[in-house]
Amino acid sequence: MAYLKDQRRETMMVEGSWNIGAYRYKGSTQLQEYVDGLKEKKLIGSLCPGCGKVIVQPRNICGRCHRRMDKRMVVSHKGTITCFVISPPIEKGKYKIIGIDPVEAGIIQEGAILVPVFVRFDGADSNINTILLNSSPEQVHIGMRVKAVFVENPEGKLSDLEGVEPLKE
Amino acid sequence: MLRNAAIIGCGQTKHSGRRRDVSQAELVSEAVHNALEDAQVSMKEVNALVVGNMQGFGGVAQPELWIGDWIGAPGKPVLRIATGGTTGGSVGQGGFYAVMSGLYDIVVATAWEKHSDSKEAGATTGLLHVALANFFHAFGYGLSMKNLLATSAVGAAAGVAAYQARFYMHRSGCRSEHFDMVAAKCRRNAARNKYAHLQWPNCTPEDIHKTDVIVHPFRMGHVCPASDGASAIVIACEDIALKKCQRPAWVKGLASYSDEENQMQSESGGGVGVLDPSEQMGCRLSAMKAYAQAGIKDPQQEIDVAEIYQPVPSQELFFSEKLGLFDEGKAWIALEKGETEINGRMPCDPSGGVNATNAIGSSALQRILEAGLQVMGKAEDHQVPKKVRNAVAHGWGGVTNYVTVTVLGETPAPRR
Repeated sequence: MAYLKDQRRETMMVEGSWNIGAYRYKGSTQLQEYVDGLKEKKLIGSLCPGCGKVIVQPRNICGRCHRRMDKRMVVSHKGTITCFVISPPIEKGKYKIIGIDPVEAGIIQEGAILVPVFVRFDGADSNINTILLNSSPEQVHIGMRVKAVFVENPEGKLSDLEGVEPLKE
Repeated sequence: MLRNAAIIGCGQTKHSGRRRDVSQAELVSEAVHNALEDAQVSMKEVNALVVGNMQGFGGVAQPELWIGDWIGAPGKPVLRIATGGTTGGSVGQGGFYAVMSGLYDIVVATAWEKHSDSKEAGATTGLLHVALANFFHAFGYGLSMKNLLATSAVGAAAGVAAYQARFYMHRSGCRSEHFDMVAAKCRRNAARNKYAHLQWPNCTPEDIHKTDVIVHPFRMGHVCPASDGASAIVIACEDIALKKCQRPAWVKGLASYSDEENQMQSESGGGVGVLDPSEQMGCRLSAMKAYAQAGIKDPQQEIDVAEIYQPVPSQELFFSEKLGLFDEGKAWIALEKGETEINGRMPCDPSGGVNATNAIGSSALQRILEAGLQVMGKAEDHQVPKKVRNAVAHGWGGVTNYVTVTVLGETPAPRR
């Protein structure tokens, strides 16, 4: 049993890299419909004829009743926060995600506190996971009313929806 | 059920952060040899194997190719199962299926993980498969890096756990301090389990509270480690179990269900209808089915100990409710009363659970194994000080929506 163990006392490491671009996806056409909607500052979902749910972003088959969801619906820019988490102040050199330090790469400012949220836009029966903008960690709460924030000139990309901000009603 | 089956032997390795002294095969062989010794069965008597680890996490993609040689089982039928975090639960249940169906008389089920074989403890190889690859195609639709870094961590079990915790806190009234209590309990229990990883005798909730916040509501002290380790069980049919083992752990019920994806994004980039990822319908359905098979009508009275898959403390709380051990939203009150302690009314994870030891592929099999030890009365220092009639073992994983529930007991399930 201890054959290899006797020969080698420790596991060994080999330096190398892995090309993550090697994966292939067929992709989905309904994501294209969603980003086409973002170009016109519209949030598009799909309606299930079985349970009546409107799911944003759109999908082809309902996850619960497995009916085809061919009909598209536009939901409101206004919505409600259903869940949130709060990051500690982001520090340089502390985190790496897929090998990227977000501060070093200039994607997130040093010291920034991020508040990722789940938002249920009015008319939707699903959450969208995005970022709370123009607010503070003290302000955020479940049930908070928010509205979608789009970039100035949407180009039909997922990044057209920057996040949500507090809504005064 | 066609026929009864029971666990007649259990084996594990010591779990730690880095088992650099062994290869994966050697690690697995430690657990399998321990299980065979415990069962007093030789590999010659074993008819078949069910094996599994989390696909890719160990950096070795085809472990079934070499494992047979290392545990003395060349030429025997091997079934490999990989269902994400639930792998061990599925491996255990695969073993039960094989014996209960009458296909084989004695089966060894083994599951493991060796995070240290990957440079970033599972992240490099594993998460590429399970999380990143899932949303890579979103780059094709202009996903911004800021949004990716801030939110797409929800695309894996660790990410969605933080949101689950917030949902549970909101609907139950539980606070972050209760997570400190669960984590401290797990560290203390682990200190009584010689195989566990994060052992901390006399750990208090205050000790946990002093650790850094990772992302509110979680602290460093709340989170499971990445462990190297393996576990194995020997499963036998009724005749053999009665002959070989004085006190086998009978399989009374088992079920696994999945719900819609729980990661707030379906594989195709669409949304999901699950508004609350701590709803875990798969767990409720699995528990109901497994209890019905076991003839259990009131789990709050009839289950004596639970081994719950809980990488973070909030999961012990809401999964214990989904398993029917406490009323909905009330588990944290039972926690405050000490009911989930080893000597409590409903001990949860007396082994320390996944919160103290997480060798991912192995983790859910360990729940079955630990529940088995409690039924067999062989849990040594972490044996619960009461008669164990029924124990429930739970596993969670898949696309954070797939659950296994297994009920073990001191007598076989009633015949139907």
